[in-house]
Formats: sequence, structure tokens, C-alpha cells
Amino acid sequence: MKNTANNKDYALLSYHHIPGVHNIDIFERAGGYETMKECFNKEPEAIKEEVKLSGLRGRGGAGFATGVKWGFFTKDRNAKKYLLCNADESEPGTFKDRYLVEKNPHILIEGMIISAWALATQKGYIYIRGEFYQQAMILERAIKEAYAKGYLGKNILGKGFDFDLYVHRGAGAYICGEETGMISSLEGKKGQPKLKPPFPAIKGYRGLPTMVNNVESLAAIPWIMRHGAAAYKQWGTEKSPGTKLFSISGDVNKPGVIEVPLSTSLKDIIEIHCGGMRNGNKLKAVIPGGSSAPIFNAEDSYIVKMDYEDVAAKGSMLGSGAIIVLDETRNMGDVLKWTLEFYHHESCGQCTPCREGTGWLESVFKRREKGQAHKSDIDLLDKTASSMRGQTICALADAAAMPTQGMIKVFREELETYVSASTKK
Amino acid sequence: MTEPIKTEVAKTEAAKADLVNLKWNGVDIQAEKGSNLLKAALDNGIEVAHYCYHAGLSIAGVCRMCMVEQDGNPRAFPSCNATCGEGMVIRNDTPKIKAAVEATLQFHLLNHPLDCPVCDQAGECGLQDYYMKHGVYDSQMIDKKVHKPKVQDIGKNVMLDAERCILCSRCARFTEEVTHTHELGILNRGDHAEITVNEELKNDYAQNLVDICPVGALTSKDFRFKQRVWFLKDVHTTCIGCETGCSVKVSQNKNGAYRVKPVYDHDVNGHWMCDDGRNIYKHVSSPTRLSSASENINGLFVPVDELSIQSKVKGLKPKYILSTGLTVEEYAQFFSSLKGSKVEVGLYTLPNLGADFDGILKRGDKNANLRGAKAAFAAAGFDSTQEGLDKILNSLSSNDVVYVVIPEILYNEDHFNTLIKKTEKAGMKLALTPGETLSTLRTFNYLLPVPSFLEKNGNIINHQGLSRPLRAGLNYGETSKDISYYGKWVNV
Repeated sequence: MKNTANNKDYALLSYHHIPGVHNIDIFERAGGYETMKECFNKEPEAIKEEVKLSGLRGRGGAGFATGVKWGFFTKDRNAKKYLLCNADESEPGTFKDRYLVEKNPHILIEGMIISAWALATQKGYIYIRGEFYQQAMILERAIKEAYAKGYLGKNILGKGFDFDLYVHRGAGAYICGEETGMISSLEGKKGQPKLKPPFPAIKGYRGLPTMVNNVESLAAIPWIMRHGAAAYKQWGTEKSPGTKLFSISGDVNKPGVIEVPLSTSLKDIIEIHCGGMRNGNKLKAVIPGGSSAPIFNAEDSYIVKMDYEDVAAKGSMLGSGAIIVLDETRNMGDVLKWTLEFYHHESCGQCTPCREGTGWLESVFKRREKGQAHKSDIDLLDKTASSMRGQTICALADAAAMPTQGMIKVFREELETYVSASTKK
Repeated sequence: MTEPIKTEVAKTEAAKADLVNLKWNGVDIQAEKGSNLLKAALDNGIEVAHYCYHAGLSIAGVCRMCMVEQDGNPRAFPSCNATCGEGMVIRNDTPKIKAAVEATLQFHLLNHPLDCPVCDQAGECGLQDYYMKHGVYDSQMIDKKVHKPKVQDIGKNVMLDAERCILCSRCARFTEEVTHTHELGILNRGDHAEITVNEELKNDYAQNLVDICPVGALTSKDFRFKQRVWFLKDVHTTCIGCETGCSVKVSQNKNGAYRVKPVYDHDVNGHWMCDDGRNIYKHVSSPTRLSSASENINGLFVPVDELSIQSKVKGLKPKYILSTGLTVEEYAQFFSSLKGSKVEVGLYTLPNLGADFDGILKRGDKNANLRGAKAAFAAAGFDSTQEGLDKILNSLSSNDVVYVVIPEILYNEDHFNTLIKKTEKAGMKLALTPGETLSTLRTFNYLLPVPSFLEKNGNIINHQGLSRPLRAGLNYGETSKDISYYGKWVNV
């Protein structure tokens, strides 16, 4: 089989092979912003309908259909509202949005302008992860270029439509990648998720309707509008159409970001697109959707197809498309320990099950370091994780509980040995 | 008695059209459409565990104790963030919810120090109560607990113990939403989050923080280590601190009163009361309070038989200066005992203190029953104005006996002293005092104890014209509950 990753005809990285495409003139020469101009001649409702038809699913991790989410948004074009781009990519293992905007910031800006026109938002923010300093600067420069061309600002291209776009850098909290946490942070408050309902589409930033979309979702809009929903659906499955960026890290020969159609098999991704396992080692496990996704053993990893429904059917989730490949040299106890350290550190502390639970999960591993952990602690981990699930405002508690339970399901024996090997007799 | 019930009824009738029917654990309940689902359950007597929800504050939804299931909804959700709709079928007694509440409670208690034996909240603590009702598990926590600062004096008689705190955020929301003073906030993330004091408490409602704290994190310096709550009995009465007349309960036992807490009163004070009102009980069981009739012998007050006082005042012309602290019933009884006699009566009103109204509850007019007093004076044909009082004071002579009812709480002693000075011309001076023996009372010939607000039943009228009850609690000392006390001396 051929390596079909990053095909020029795909939706997202189709400009990435062009040198200097971050420059607006080069981007336009390659056909950039043309779709935007066309879209200004289309009815906003028609754009929304096309996006809905394309079946594009939110690429932030939850996989909620973008078109449906847009459908919840107020149709009053004069009402004050916001478009918020979620570039706070902080799930361990995920680095696709970073790659997308650092090479080609204009595809995101074009997507945001089209979306803003469709949704009639007067202001937009790109909330970018604080650590992405370079990428924030690239976006700032690109926005300046777009303003100079008259694609942003007042009365864009004489259409009587205003759209201002700003970059806002986060301060490094994982939870600000959750849409309501991001809104709190943007409002200048502590980055804590808000109770839902009301959803941001009804009451978001500053209490006004706010549409929050992931970088990858917004960047796919120009392609969908240019080639049509039907063309987009040539890839993937009925329920997971289109192409998707995967960020692959771990024990493969060629880690990095690739764009492939959804439903590409994980085996192909590892063996063909990533050049196989490093040093010829045996595959042990794969985390298919970022650190919060339950782990697959080698067997499942070789049969799973990377689309929303197949990954879910096998007990995990596609999430943000962060594939972490682990070979035989990796200890699953260490993997879980590091994962839980992360979630303990990042819990915002608002809801009790998460605030106390994430710390408790990690404490088992802390105890191990003192030689005080026992085999039975794995049951405690399982029980604690299960009582954290579905109990909190946002999904952080689930994000810590799911990989814990998943890991116990697949690698219980190894974990038991891990915690009890150092027990003081 | 114009109880709040009257307005409540009117309100319910108006809202009846908007009532919806719900089923909660199989019990049919009614609630206003769109009203808070958790409140609807609580109002209908259904017990739902909760920490962060408070009817007087915004919704935080963080304690995760009030989770419910709804028919047709696969996900459990917190009832505090839901609204009532017609035909909703809600359950919080399913195995799933029960397990969730137990687990969440265990999370709440995970890093809690469990120092109940030395905690003043013990006996009225949400953690204790719910553990007995919903928990009763064996703790699996064997790790070192997270430590946070304890015994922090955060001002205004409030003590903070961050370890006991369950971060329900009620206190932070109170300083933000009710007093708008923003003294408290939550700092840090995860299990290191704790209540932080941005600045010392400066608002006049700080003691409410102690009331709304569902655990022992915020305690009152005034009440700490004084009494166990299970030895106390609450008496529902009305605050006499100012003309607002907040509904309060006074916790007492046979040794005296220990604290004052607000009682929800929709029309008057809502959920809160001010810090000044927390001190209104202090004179009642004060050791310096007058307990029996006393005679002034060269500046020393010596207990004396009332009959001997009566023989001394016989033949003198009685003149009365009443305070605004009597109940409506006491005024009525007093004026009815005047019938046929030529007694002069004036009213001493306390001067204003501070702003007329602080925007929340506190009022500058400290006369608790000014409306009741004025109405009673008018009905009996007496002058309740300052001019009326001055006329009596200016006409005092050695043939007169002046009876002065001392205000129960004297905010401004100097102002009162000028009144006392003006009574010097009277032949005989008697003070009827419900409070402490003040040094200024030395100019009186006799002192007579009268019941304090905690020792009498009756009603007072607040600034809105609403009648609120005073209720006798436990009896203290020798004072009497007989309301004919004030009129008794008229026809001696």
C-alpha cells in the first residue's frame, strides 16, 4: 500500500507543501481567500446548510457535528455575538493545530471569516495556548496581513459586514481548552468551566451568544465551501466524513502530523505513514485519541479503523486524533502514573469528585514510591475512577478516569506487579 | 397580627396559573414554572443533600451532591442547575444516584481533617449529617491528607480553617453578590485550592458567612468553644437592633443566650442579618444586669422591697418617659391602665446612627418599635413627639415622680445622658430597665427590672409597617413576663 498521507487534494494540509504559504500573497496565489470571496455572495443560511450536509464533526475531541452546533446559534444577524476559535491545544499527545497554523495561518483565518459571515458574528478571538508563542506571533502577523487586504475589519469587501479578529494567549491551563473554561479565561476570570446549561451558543463570552470551534474544524470550512459537502464526504464513513489530522508520537520511525481520510486503519498509519515501529520493536499498546482516551492493546490497535464510531466501538475514543504509540519497552505503570500526575495538576478544583479524585488516583503511585502500595490498590484506582465519571461540570474528571479504567482493563496484571514490586515487606 | 403569610398567600395566588406538576421520587409536588428544581424539592419537604446551593446566592453547581435522574434523560444532572417544567419525573433515590452521592461524599471527606470533637460546627455540620444519611462507608483513604492553613482570623469575628473547607464557594459568592465587597476568593487549583482572604473582612454582614458555611471552615469567634449546639434551643423572635426588624432565632439554654442567627423572612430580611444584630442578646444574661428592685443608697444600689418603693412614691404626680422598645401589647396595656388618671407620658426616641439605610438591611433609625409606639400614643391621645417630651421635662418639679423606661440597647449614651440631666428637677426618679445597670443610672432613686425582649411575648411594628413577634425564650433571673408591669405604678 502507498503512503497517501498529506495528499495535495486533501482539505487541511493542501497548502503545506508550498514554501512561504504563511505569507498572504503566496497563499492567495495558491487559491487562498477565493472561497471566502465567493462565500460573500452566498446566503449565510446556505453556508450553514452546506457545513451541516458535509457532516463535519468538531475536531476538538468531542466530535459533535459542527453544522448542528451552528444550528443552535441565534439567527438574529444584528445581535452581538462572538466566534471563538479554540487553539488551546493542550491534551498530551496532541499537536495538530500547532502544525496547521504555524505553516498556514491563513487557512484558519479564511475559515473564520467564512464562519463569521455565516453566523454573523462581529468579533472573533483565537484563544491560543500560552506555550505556542511562535504560533501566536505567526497568527498575529497573518491577521495584520488580512486587515491590510481588507478581509478583516469594517465593511469587508464592501459587503457591509464587520468582523474583527484577535489573538488571545492562554496562560498554560489545560482546562482552558474546555470551551466554557476558555470563555472564563477570556473574560479575565479564573479558568474554570461554567455550568451548562446555558450553553455558550446561548450565553457565552460576556453573557452573549458565542460559537466555539476547534482550529481544525474552522480550517476545514474553506475546502468544504469550495468543493461542496458531497466532495468532502468522499472520504471517511457516513458518520465520520472527511479527512482528519493525526498527531503521532511515541515509538514509531516517523512521528509527526499527517492528514488522512477518517477510517484509515491504525495499522496503516503506524506501518505505512509513520514508517513502522522504531528499532523494529514490537508494538505493545496505542493510545488512540490523546491522553484521556482508553488504551488499546496491540491486537486491537492492528484492527481498529480511525473513525469516531469504530474507535468508540472498541472502547476508546478518537478524541483529538493524538496517537501515542508504545512499544514493548514501555511500562504501563509509568504511563498511567504520568497521565494521572498531569490530570491531578490540571484539575481546576471546582467540582469535588474531580478536585479530590484526581489527587487520590495519583496518591496510589506516590505511595508506591515509598514502598507502601499494594496489589489491591488497583481495585481502589478502578473504584475511585468509576465514581468520578459523569459527576462533574466538565469532562476533566472523565478524562482522568477513562484512561485509568481503560489501562486497568487491558494491563491489570502489569499494573499490579508495578505497584507491588517495590512494596516493603 | 399581620404575619408575612398574608403577602405570601397573595403571591401564591397570583402565581397559581404558572404552577407545574412534577413527580419527585414518586411524590407529586407543585412548583412555579421555571423555578429552581432543587428549591422546589426542598420547599416541598423532600430531602436532597446539597452544599453549594443556597437560595440567596447564585448557582455554583460544584458540590455535585444534588444529582438527580430524569425519565428520558440518560445523564444524571445536578438539580440545582435545573428548572421545573410540567410533568417532569425526577428521582434521586435510584441505586445509581445513591452510589454517586455516597462516592461524592467520600470525595468531600477525603482531605477533611475530621476534627469534629474540637469543631464548633459539630451537631449542625453538613458533612456529619450527610455521612449518617448517605455515607456510612469505611474510609479507604490511607494517604497523607493535604494540609492547609488553620485558625486564621479573617476579621469581623470570623475564623477560617481552610482544611475543613469543602470549597462550596458560598462565602466567596456572598461577598461578591450580597455585600459586593469581594473579600474572599478561591486561590490555587485542584486539591490545593483554598479560600483566600483578599483583604480582611470589612462588610457589616460577615457573620452570615458563618451561617452559610455548611461545614466548620468558618466559625464565629464570639461563639467558638462556648457551647455545644445540641445543648441549645432556638427561639424564633425578632431583632430589636434597628427599625428593620429582621426575623431571627436566638440559641439559648438555661445558662443564657449564646448567639443570634437570621431566619428566612421573605418580606423583611430575606436570608441575612447584619453583624450589629448578632449582639442584641448580650445584655440579657449579663452579670451586671439588674435582677431585682434596688434603692440608691449613696451611689450604691441595694436590693429593696417593691412595696417600700410604692410607699415612697405615694402622693407624687407620676410622669412617664417611655422608650420605643415596648411591644404593641405593652403599650396598649400601659395606656389602658392610665384611664381616669392625670398622668403625663412622653416618648424618648433613640437618635439616628450612621446612614439611614446601607442598601442591604441595616437602618440608621434604631427604634425597633417606633411605629407601634407612635400608634399607641396617638390612639391614647398622647404626644409622642420630641416637643411633647420636652414639655414634660420642662415642667418637672419636686412634686413629681418620673418613671424613665431605659431603652434596651443604648447606642448613644451621651444622647441619653442629656435626657437624664433634664429629669433632675423631679422629686423622685425611677428607672425601669431591661438591660444592664449603667453608670448613668446613679442619679435615679430606684431601679426596677423589666423584661428584656427575650422574656416577653408580643409584637413590634417594623419600618414597613409589618408586625413581627417577640417571643419569650427561657426565663432569666427575677424579671417578670407580666406585661402590666409598666402601668402598675400609675395608680399607686
